[in-house]
Amino acid sequence: MAKMIERMLLRFRLSGLGRLRSQKNMIESYLPIREEIVRQRSARAIQWMEFLHEAKMAPLGNAAGRPTATVAAAREAKVQALRDRYRLKEKALAQTRKRAEAKGPLSPEAIAGFEESGRKLVESRDRRIAAILAPSRRSSLSEAEALRKFLEVETEQTEILARKKAALRAKEEKHLDAIRKRAARQIAHLDGKIAALRKMVLERHPAQTGDADLPENVLLRLQNLSMRFGGLLAVDNLSFDVKQGEIFGLIGPNGAGKTTIFNCITRFYRPTSGEMFYRRNAVEVIRLNDFPVHQIIRQGIVRTFQNVELVWELSVLDNLLVAAHTVYRSGFFAQLLHTPGLRREENVLKAKALGVLQTLGLSAYAYAFPYGLPYGILKKIELARTLMANPRLIILDEPAAGLNDKETEELAVLIRKIRDDYKCTIFLVEHDMGLVMDICDTVCAISFGRMLAIGTPAAIQADPLVRAAYLGEAS
Amino acid sequence: MLGTFWKEVRGTLSRVVKHPYFGFILLGVALLIVRRFAELGMVSPSLYKSISSMMIYSIIALGFSLLLGYAGLASLGTAGFVGLGTYFIGHFSGTLQKPFGITLLVALGGAIVLGAVVGFVSLRIEGMYLAIITLGLSEILKEVFKSFTAFTNGVTGLTFRNFMMFGKPVPDAAVDQAIILVFVLVIIATLNIINSPTGRALLAMKNSDSAAQSMGIGLMKYRLLAFVLATVYAVIAGLLYMADIKFSIPGTWSLDFSLNILAAVVVGGAQSILGILLGVFMIFGLNMTVLQNIPFFRQYPDATWILSGVLIILVTMFYPGGLIRLLQALRLKIILLVRNLRKRWRKYRYGEDD
Ligand SMILES: Nc1ncnc2c1ncn2[C@@H]1O[C@H](COP(=O)(O)OP(=O)(O)OP(=O)(O)O)[C@@H](O)[C@H]1O
Ligand SMILES: [Mg+2]
Repeated sequence: MAKMIERMLLRFRLSGLGRLRSQKNMIESYLPIREEIVRQRSARAIQWMEFLHEAKMAPLGNAAGRPTATVAAAREAKVQALRDRYRLKEKALAQTRKRAEAKGPLSPEAIAGFEESGRKLVESRDRRIAAILAPSRRSSLSEAEALRKFLEVETEQTEILARKKAALRAKEEKHLDAIRKRAARQIAHLDGKIAALRKMVLERHPAQTGDADLPENVLLRLQNLSMRFGGLLAVDNLSFDVKQGEIFGLIGPNGAGKTTIFNCITRFYRPTSGEMFYRRNAVEVIRLNDFPVHQIIRQGIVRTFQNVELVWELSVLDNLLVAAHTVYRSGFFAQLLHTPGLRREENVLKAKALGVLQTLGLSAYAYAFPYGLPYGILKKIELARTLMANPRLIILDEPAAGLNDKETEELAVLIRKIRDDYKCTIFLVEHDMGLVMDICDTVCAISFGRMLAIGTPAAIQADPLVRAAYLGEAS
Repeated sequence: MLGTFWKEVRGTLSRVVKHPYFGFILLGVALLIVRRFAELGMVSPSLYKSISSMMIYSIIALGFSLLLGYAGLASLGTAGFVGLGTYFIGHFSGTLQKPFGITLLVALGGAIVLGAVVGFVSLRIEGMYLAIITLGLSEILKEVFKSFTAFTNGVTGLTFRNFMMFGKPVPDAAVDQAIILVFVLVIIATLNIINSPTGRALLAMKNSDSAAQSMGIGLMKYRLLAFVLATVYAVIAGLLYMADIKFSIPGTWSLDFSLNILAAVVVGGAQSILGILLGVFMIFGLNMTVLQNIPFFRQYPDATWILSGVLIILVTMFYPGGLIRLLQALRLKIILLVRNLRKRWRKYRYGEDD
């Protein structure tokens, strides 16, 4: 009884710890977004200032025969547009002439007519361009006077503009500083809370290891796992450990029970007997048998399926957001009203999703719909999806199935990269021996639900039992 | 120089126009104007009544689409829930003369409980069987409406006068305006739900239960939620129906009604709000506003059902995504056509071949 209460307390405190950590994470990842918003806002304000400055200076400049930079640029653009238009007209003329020529030889009058039209076009173009570029003087002042006034006002206004800009920049800097300070304060506060809670957990629950004595470096332990479907024993009294930070490969012929093992770990199946232990964090080991399916991801275990299981009606980015479902804190009513809090969360998670997509080289597909994309891309999207929920253990069911050799090589690099960048453990089932032997630190071979051998790839390749049951069969 | 200014203005405008709410708020404003015209006698009152009814049916259809189009759950119990809404308001606001707030609380409470119960059932039973069970529930509700006369006034039907708010009867004009307001608010709420984690979770669940669960989406929570939402929408629509039509009779709340809602959602396009409005117009509105003015259909009113039947068959055969798909395809075709014509013109006129 006391032990149960203690475990409940522990779980409660650890989930508090998780909440604090994810709050901290949110604040940290929102900071750059917030900074960008402030910067953009002040950039727009500066744009407006420049616009007003121009509005004041342009008429004076025109009067003085000194078009301001913007006016000059606008004229240049106008001239360019005019030239383009006339080029089209010339082309049309040439085309008409060509069509006329196709009907038969042209009479001299017709040729003269075409040439005359061409000349007229050039003439009218040049006239209009000159009209645009000519200084427009509608001022009553004499030129010298206008120029003097223009220069006077310009120096004055430029100074004012510079002063205003500097003030705005200072304000922006101050604002940014305040934002950063507030975030830092919040983070420091959270850090304090996290440290206190952590200390308390470590003190109150010394070496709290659930029901099993998992060694420090073991992440997942299967203990005498069996799964029976009617008369078929799909998994037969299987035990092995997956160590923290390794890439663990499970191999076996078709129907050996590999997917069944995954389904037991992720609680889609209830094992007939046996225990599954999982190190949730430094101090807590949980018994996976106690958790419902949809709680597994909250423990940090994410899986993919043997066949691609994406949401076809959603864009790739939204698919990644679905996978971040457990990271959201906003409740239903916040979603119903689309509160700023929810929008902030969406921004943070979208940024995160885009980051993940970039890591996997999928940025180009972020807003595409998965339907009809190449199979290799779909598989990668599934992989990207596993990274959204802060995983500690990623379970991949045949990630290379259906990929060509080049894609498989890329996948190998990617899996290693994920393991290193996201500091997680990878547990995969794969038929592609090349891939398994290349990337796995430990390989476990099973056949008819029973363990054949476990060890380094080299040892497995040399194992006579495995050769007979699996590799022999394949060759 | 003015370029900056216009760019700024255009940017703001396009942001407003592209906002998903914009079109629907505009629709609401247009409806308010039409209502005003009806008041001034420029639009016939019967036409406006049918527009009002369409709005109410749209609310039901939106709730139903969350269920069918998003959560992928089939239900044929819609009619019962709407009927329940009409009797809630008829009984509490009408017969008992309770203030509107109490009616609303009771109705919403009832809807949530009922929706949760059906949602719970949906955890065990799926697909066609779920449809049959909800149909059974709806039929039970209909029988209850018939026999529980203290609450519903039985088969003769329950009549409702204006309800009271702040001690005064609410005028019909205010009811009409309220219907428009609720209609727009429901659309906005639906948009918000669709574009949030909840909407995505529903879609994930529809695609694959197991994938959804492995991403932390609890089936129980979201199935219950989907049913509660659909029921709440239906009951709200029931309240509006009674406030608008002022008469409710058990016979209305039969399978026909649920099937029509289903048809509207399927014909229009189960995942698009615009599609659903279109579907409601096709199934209910066309009959009320256009066909009834054609002498043939006035002589044989039931022939309109043949027409909707044909429509449903055609749409499901050729555009399984609903009429909205047809519109989208048409739009794409027109864009391509215009682009093509322009290209040919340029080739003819300027001899360009790009
Ligand atoms: N839900 C189930 N009900 C009955 N039998 C099942 C079920 N799931 C799996 N099996 C059986 O268990 C055995 C192992 O299946 P499993 O899918 O785990 O194989 P696998 O190793 O993943 O094979 P593959 O390489 O083809 O994916 C098979 O004989 C299969 O028919
Ligand atoms: Mg398998």
